[in-house]
Amino acid sequence: MKISWLIAGLIFAAGVVVAGLALMYYLPLDMRDRSPLQPLAFSHKVHAGDNGIHCLFCHRYAPESPVAGIPAVADCRACHLFISPDAPEIKKLMLYWEKREPIPWVRVYSLPDHVYFPHMMHIRARLSCTVCHDEVAAMERVARSAELKMGWCLNCHRQHKASIDCWTCHK
Amino acid sequence: MKRRTFLQLSGMTAAGTVLSGCQSGNEKLIPYLVPPDEGVTPGKADYYASSCRFCPAGCGILVRVSEGRAKKIEGNPAHPVNRGKLCAMGQAVLQELYHPDRVPQPLKRSGPRGSGAFTRISWEESLELLAGQLRALQREKATDRLALVTPQLNGTLVELTTRFMRVFGSPHHLSFDLLGPDWLRTATRRSFGQPGLPWYDVAETRYLLSFGADFVEHHLSPVQYGYAFGRMRQGRDTVRGHFTYVGGRMSLTGASADRWMPARPGSEGALALGMARLILAESLSDAGSLAVNGLQTEKLLRRLEAYDLPRVAEQTGLPQRIIAEVAREFATTRPALAMAGETVAFQSNGPDAVRAVQMLNLLVGNLNRPGGVYPDGGSRVGPENSFTELLSLVAAMRDGRFRVAMIHGDPVHAIPPATGFQEALARVPFIVSFSSLMDDTALQADLILPDHAALESWGDVIPLAGTRDRVIGLMQPVVTPLFDTRQFPDVLMAMADKLGGKTAAFPYQSYQEMLKGTMEKRVGRAARRDFETVWVELLRQGGLFETRQGQEKGYRRAPGSSLPNPAEPRFAGDEKRFPLHLLVYPSIAFYDGRGAPLPWLQQLPDPMTTVVWDSWVEINPRTAAEMGIGFGDLVEVTSPQGAMRLPAVIYPGIRPDMVAIPLGQGHRGMGRYARGRGSNPLVLLALITDGTETRPAWHATRVRLTRISEKGELVTAGHPQGSYRSELIEI
Ligand code: SF4
Repeated sequence: MKISWLIAGLIFAAGVVVAGLALMYYLPLDMRDRSPLQPLAFSHKVHAGDNGIHCLFCHRYAPESPVAGIPAVADCRACHLFISPDAPEIKKLMLYWEKREPIPWVRVYSLPDHVYFPHMMHIRARLSCTVCHDEVAAMERVARSAELKMGWCLNCHRQHKASIDCWTCHK
Repeated sequence: MKRRTFLQLSGMTAAGTVLSGCQSGNEKLIPYLVPPDEGVTPGKADYYASSCRFCPAGCGILVRVSEGRAKKIEGNPAHPVNRGKLCAMGQAVLQELYHPDRVPQPLKRSGPRGSGAFTRISWEESLELLAGQLRALQREKATDRLALVTPQLNGTLVELTTRFMRVFGSPHHLSFDLLGPDWLRTATRRSFGQPGLPWYDVAETRYLLSFGADFVEHHLSPVQYGYAFGRMRQGRDTVRGHFTYVGGRMSLTGASADRWMPARPGSEGALALGMARLILAESLSDAGSLAVNGLQTEKLLRRLEAYDLPRVAEQTGLPQRIIAEVAREFATTRPALAMAGETVAFQSNGPDAVRAVQMLNLLVGNLNRPGGVYPDGGSRVGPENSFTELLSLVAAMRDGRFRVAMIHGDPVHAIPPATGFQEALARVPFIVSFSSLMDDTALQADLILPDHAALESWGDVIPLAGTRDRVIGLMQPVVTPLFDTRQFPDVLMAMADKLGGKTAAFPYQSYQEMLKGTMEKRVGRAARRDFETVWVELLRQGGLFETRQGQEKGYRRAPGSSLPNPAEPRFAGDEKRFPLHLLVYPSIAFYDGRGAPLPWLQQLPDPMTTVVWDSWVEINPRTAAEMGIGFGDLVEVTSPQGAMRLPAVIYPGIRPDMVAIPLGQGHRGMGRYARGRGSNPLVLLALITDGTETRPAWHATRVRLTRISEKGELVTAGHPQGSYRSELIEI
């Protein structure tokens, strides 16, 4: 009697776990912070890889500002008025434009406030974008390849004989 | 809560947490919809030089702007007044720009006056409305029925307002500031024949004697003097300047002193003369200086006979020994410097008391010397008794002589009601306010033409008494205006344009052009040839800074000027019914009230009492104990003029026969952070005038206290109990 109760209980618990997992699989929940789902299925592979658009064409502030910048909705639209305007993802893009809403992209790379990372200095040092961002041109969806821990930065700075003074990054 | 409910609830909360965790923790990266114009690089800041005009000191600022938004303000290191330093108010100017309760466009009153009901209208309509009123005055040949009320202006704004009023045909322009240094101008003219303000060389002096001049908080040019004070104390290897403070309440300045002399209110002038007599009697004075200024020791001594030590000691309530000691220290340390401040000036005998202090400077020969007093490099002239003008304007308003009043600033809050200004203003049929926030004056207005915030404005700022050099600070817009507002001078120009026929009076298209034109005249002839480049350079560095030392005519006793002879102080309210003196002092955060709408300043704990967000009354522990008042109790302060309820702060740094209330709170409007917070102590002040002279004596009101309850709802940032135990005061 007791055993059967126990078995029933176990089966029930297992069922709950399975159902939970199934739910998590099917619901649009996103737990990946290294390669999050984006509001539009923007493919870096298509843009940077297949079509060979240079990174700085869209991330145009990287050579002159600490932040690389992302293209304004108007910039995306300017191209796609003519390029595959009928693709479903492009339609979504146009919908954003019509509603006058910016696209809420999910950030993949971010550093805490106490770290100062200037893109322009790294570009001026002739580092390739792939050093930190890996082969983005091959990614359907961007994934963060680096850990972004301090030791990782330091290693690179040591390798390239860049300053490892605290004030270089923490200011 | 039942156990079952608790379990249910916690189960639900846990489920909620788990679900919300099923999302990547990454932030969003929001792009522009339309890319910004050329010149804006995301992530990269630009710095613009401008000037602070929050108080008349006129410090230079650098504003950090990124993505077209002003982010941070710091002092401009190249500016001769503040040399890269800045006060809390200057830092908070940023919040004026982004204040959520700014008036976004012109408003027309739609309900009864004071109800705060307004409708939005366009600039065309609003200007036409005002022009209509003014045209009617012109038609009826009643142009003198227009009044203009502003704070004390300087630079091109004076030129503009004067010209506007002259061309329109009305002599009624009142420029009044509660804390305007009129008293110092008058005293300096009477003592030395020059109406300019003095500049004190605090950094170089070795003995500083301040009679109620709170130069660390607000007196004349606080950032400049605070910096100079630091250098006087620590800037030299071998000397640490000595500082003695005279005044009934220990302010932040007083707390920085080596010695505090809590003289009885109104007796400071007598104290100065008592010291002068002792210095002369003991032949400690500077013979050369006396000779140059045409004074003889014997004659002076005879005139000062009345100020012998025992009598002065009795008047001031200070021990004879201390007075003599300070007088000797002051006379034997060279250079030594005496300053007079608002606490002394706003007494019934204020003008003479200030002159008595100025005479001390003459006696020890520190006029025009390093470590002494020089004429400042700012504007030579300024109003000397705008208070009389205020009173006559009020009288005229009360008689219904005005049809239109144009008001810049917030006089409804910052003028003591005892003058009758508020009631008289209500009799003006059409009131125009230029406030950018819904302040107390704007609430009474019929039409509001909102001004730009300071960071959106053009302007020139001549620093008040902050330097010996000629300095003209420039203001430039660091961001594009956030709302549909217009600058006050531009509105005046547009008005002149609309009234027609007189446009020749304004040869410029806009205020910006006028500013540029005036600066062109001000720079030297050589620079004028290529003015475009010079102009850009002036804007880049923040103004025109010229160093020209020693060319100014120095101070000298005005021939025939009489010796100061401060009368017995008079007070409003008799001693029996109102046993305590009231001191109303500008707080370090709010100045005369203009800082109240900015939340950073509201959150700044008062440096002496650590109170935040509120008004309070400071009471000596002994007085409080006698009346059974505890820290934080609610007390009623009653003066012959009015009454108000405030929480009590037991404060050992004040005379037992004195209470003090900070200025600046108690707004009816002024946005969500200022509205209804604290109370305005100006309602307590009585008007004391005598037949011959009309001078504000704001510190000559007496009050009494009544304990109401123990619920004062006081918020402090520090622990108050510590102050009970200290025995700072020994009178
Ligand atoms: S002292 Fe006056 S002018 Fe200078 S920063 Fe403070 S508020 Fe501005």
